[in-house]
Amino acid sequence: MIRFPVRFRVRQIGIDGNTMGNSRILLCEEPGEFLIGKSEDSDVPLTGDAVSRRHMSLVLTTEDVRVRDEGSTNGTYVNGTRVGEQVLELGDQVSIPGWLLELLAPAESEASQTRIAGVEVDASLVSRLVITDDTSPPPARRNFPEMEFADKDMVGIEALRASGHPVEEVKFCAVGGGLGSFVWVDHLRCYGIPASDIRAIGTEEVCYRTYQRYCKNSQIPDHERLRSNSLSRPDNIWGFPGYAMREVGKGIGVKGIFQVFGEPTLSESYTPRAGDVFESLDIEAKRIGWSDMLIKAQVLGLRKTSDGRYAVAYKLWGGEAHGEARNRYIVADVVHLSTGYPATRFVDDFQSFITSYPDSRAQVANAYEPHDQMYAEAERRNGPVQVVVRGRGIVASRIIQRLHEARAKNPQIRILHSMRSPIGPRDGAVFRKARRLVRNNVEIQPFNWPKSCWGGDLRVEYENAGEEERGVMLNQLGGTTTAERSDWIAIAERGSEEGWYRPVYGNISNLKPLPSPGPDQPDGVQVSISTTEGNEEVLNADYLIDCTGLIADIRRSPFLADLLDTYKLPRNHAYRPTDSGPQKGGPTGLRCTNDFEIEGLRNSNGRVYAAGTITTGGPYLAVDSFLGLQYSAIRSVDHLVTENIHKVPNLGPLRSFRGWTKWMTGRQP
Amino acid sequence: MIPTLAGRLQTRLLLFIFVGIPVTLAFVFILAGWKWDYDIAMPFLLFLATITGLGLLLDPVYIFLQTTRWDRDWPFAYQFFFSWVEFGVVFALARTGLIPWLPVAVEGQQPPLVDFSSNAAIGLATLHFTLVFIPTFLALLGPLQTIFVRWRFKGGQLGKL
Repeated sequence: MIRFPVRFRVRQIGIDGNTMGNSRILLCEEPGEFLIGKSEDSDVPLTGDAVSRRHMSLVLTTEDVRVRDEGSTNGTYVNGTRVGEQVLELGDQVSIPGWLLELLAPAESEASQTRIAGVEVDASLVSRLVITDDTSPPPARRNFPEMEFADKDMVGIEALRASGHPVEEVKFCAVGGGLGSFVWVDHLRCYGIPASDIRAIGTEEVCYRTYQRYCKNSQIPDHERLRSNSLSRPDNIWGFPGYAMREVGKGIGVKGIFQVFGEPTLSESYTPRAGDVFESLDIEAKRIGWSDMLIKAQVLGLRKTSDGRYAVAYKLWGGEAHGEARNRYIVADVVHLSTGYPATRFVDDFQSFITSYPDSRAQVANAYEPHDQMYAEAERRNGPVQVVVRGRGIVASRIIQRLHEARAKNPQIRILHSMRSPIGPRDGAVFRKARRLVRNNVEIQPFNWPKSCWGGDLRVEYENAGEEERGVMLNQLGGTTTAERSDWIAIAERGSEEGWYRPVYGNISNLKPLPSPGPDQPDGVQVSISTTEGNEEVLNADYLIDCTGLIADIRRSPFLADLLDTYKLPRNHAYRPTDSGPQKGGPTGLRCTNDFEIEGLRNSNGRVYAAGTITTGGPYLAVDSFLGLQYSAIRSVDHLVTENIHKVPNLGPLRSFRGWTKWMTGRQP
Repeated sequence: MIPTLAGRLQTRLLLFIFVGIPVTLAFVFILAGWKWDYDIAMPFLLFLATITGLGLLLDPVYIFLQTTRWDRDWPFAYQFFFSWVEFGVVFALARTGLIPWLPVAVEGQQPPLVDFSSNAAIGLATLHFTLVFIPTFLALLGPLQTIFVRWRFKGGQLGKL
């Protein structure tokens, strides 16, 4: 039973992730649906570039309180997890870009309904935002885990037990539940830790689900190939036999073996099929007992405990439990953080277009969001279709290939490839004696970093470098590249000759909707480009697909933001090259040691490690790759072995080989 | 594995000791008619040691070539090719008698048991090197990682990271 009025506390969040201004109270007096968005006819209008016109609805019945995303661009998050529709519990935090809504407990009495922090607020504005004139932080907190965690950097086990929430004790706890967690847990298991000592917490049943979603959206279905090496197997800590050999075993063909032999100079680099990677992960998950270790839940917070361990607060996600019974604690000796991309942020002009012209939303897409309908529509249309593809990375290559496939059904599809500037054959990035190859105005590299960043001399050099030198190397070696694939090169060359592919150089200066030219004619999008020659080129297109990637910002994760604030954790920084030497830029990933330990969270014998994109700018360049996850896993697990506190046995040659034979024969580690 | 200089040297010595020497011993054992013959074994062991030695000298050159490549890598195909170049160079020098510890026939003296300048030596030395080369090259393609799990991240060096 829900008691009305239902109260939400509304806070505005600044770009730094901190709250700004006064908090406000939203009172909903009776059951109903309340639209929240930028449009003026919303029930609750909220401002902000990243807020959609119709962003989300609060759906209140006498049975429950729900939040429903209304197809917003930037999504609606409940306690940091993107949702479609979700039942809320007291204390749940609903966030949309720039705003945080918290479901408060019902007021104790009629009189206190509109009192917050003892201050009377204007109750005539029911179902509207009510601004409190109270500057002190509002007292209404989420009960869990704030009752135990708030304003503390250390909690006692007794206090956790006294809270009445179930408390489980394990040795190792992986937070995230995605590929990073899986690879770390796989290492622990292969080093000889039993499954009963390990828990992994995440909202997805399957460790590669989020990764697979990004692949699917960027047009890499399971039968297409990823940009990854044969020996980079997240399901096999030894990386042998590689995916190329696995294909021979499965009868797919021996071509991969010859590719591996000659790559990258004499042949195109071999890359595995997405579906094969996922299938092999399923097999390994079964072998190491992943489902027994996995807790399907959201992690809400982490604190040091007074006995040298860590308390992880989580809320069960889905499943049978309801209400307070979903809130639980795990107390672990060693914690591993691998929470992935916290939330996606688009480039500014794209972002402002979709917020200013929500009706043209179907005409533009970021390559990482679902946009299959564009290809379907373009294929169906019996007439010319113009698509602007922006960006020159690997995703752009794949999107252009997908459009080329669509041309089989509608030969009147034309591709305009928008790139910032032409890159000549001698304009590739330079690192000492070497220069990056350029083909068709795109820099070519088999993988997202030069190969020796994973295990060659660049790995050693980068690890030993100081903070500033690392920043410089990251700049020199990074950058947008694509793989050298003959089919992609052929598309650009044939398309240029036949007139259905054209590169356009310059900065996009303006995006605006293009009204439909006539009945039954769809809307379009007008892309203005300031060309490198100083002209203004206006492209009238049907679709714009933005392939410039995602911006990761770890503060967007409420869990990480709370950790950063509570323990004042230092972060890595970007460095921009200037004439007077490198200049410090904005913060990037969580600072960690060369063993991927987060030193600021060390707690007597307790250790916290991290992996993946949240460690960007740290001791390793290719953190956001299969092999990079394995590297950070082996570093952190070896560190546990060396310290010899948590009884992790070493993986020497004999034990390693024995473990590998178990992997080969499918026996449990 | 993308080799570093230390990694190249260590892996080369490792493979010489644990693959090259045992395979050579087995080879000469069969060659001598299933018995141990020091005078046949020694030239082949020295021959392989010379190739390894030349390889150790060339490793800094290979590393230099790597630094001119953007990816600073070393394709398996190069590994394959340069292994045979090393063999070819040592064998050619041996035939001319320029390597004093590798025996060649000298006019007026009794010919040695293994004569690197003879025609028979071409086939035998090639067979010997092929037998050593196949398992060492295959080991580099991944099997070494099953024993040394950190080897591929250390650029071919042994031990911990």
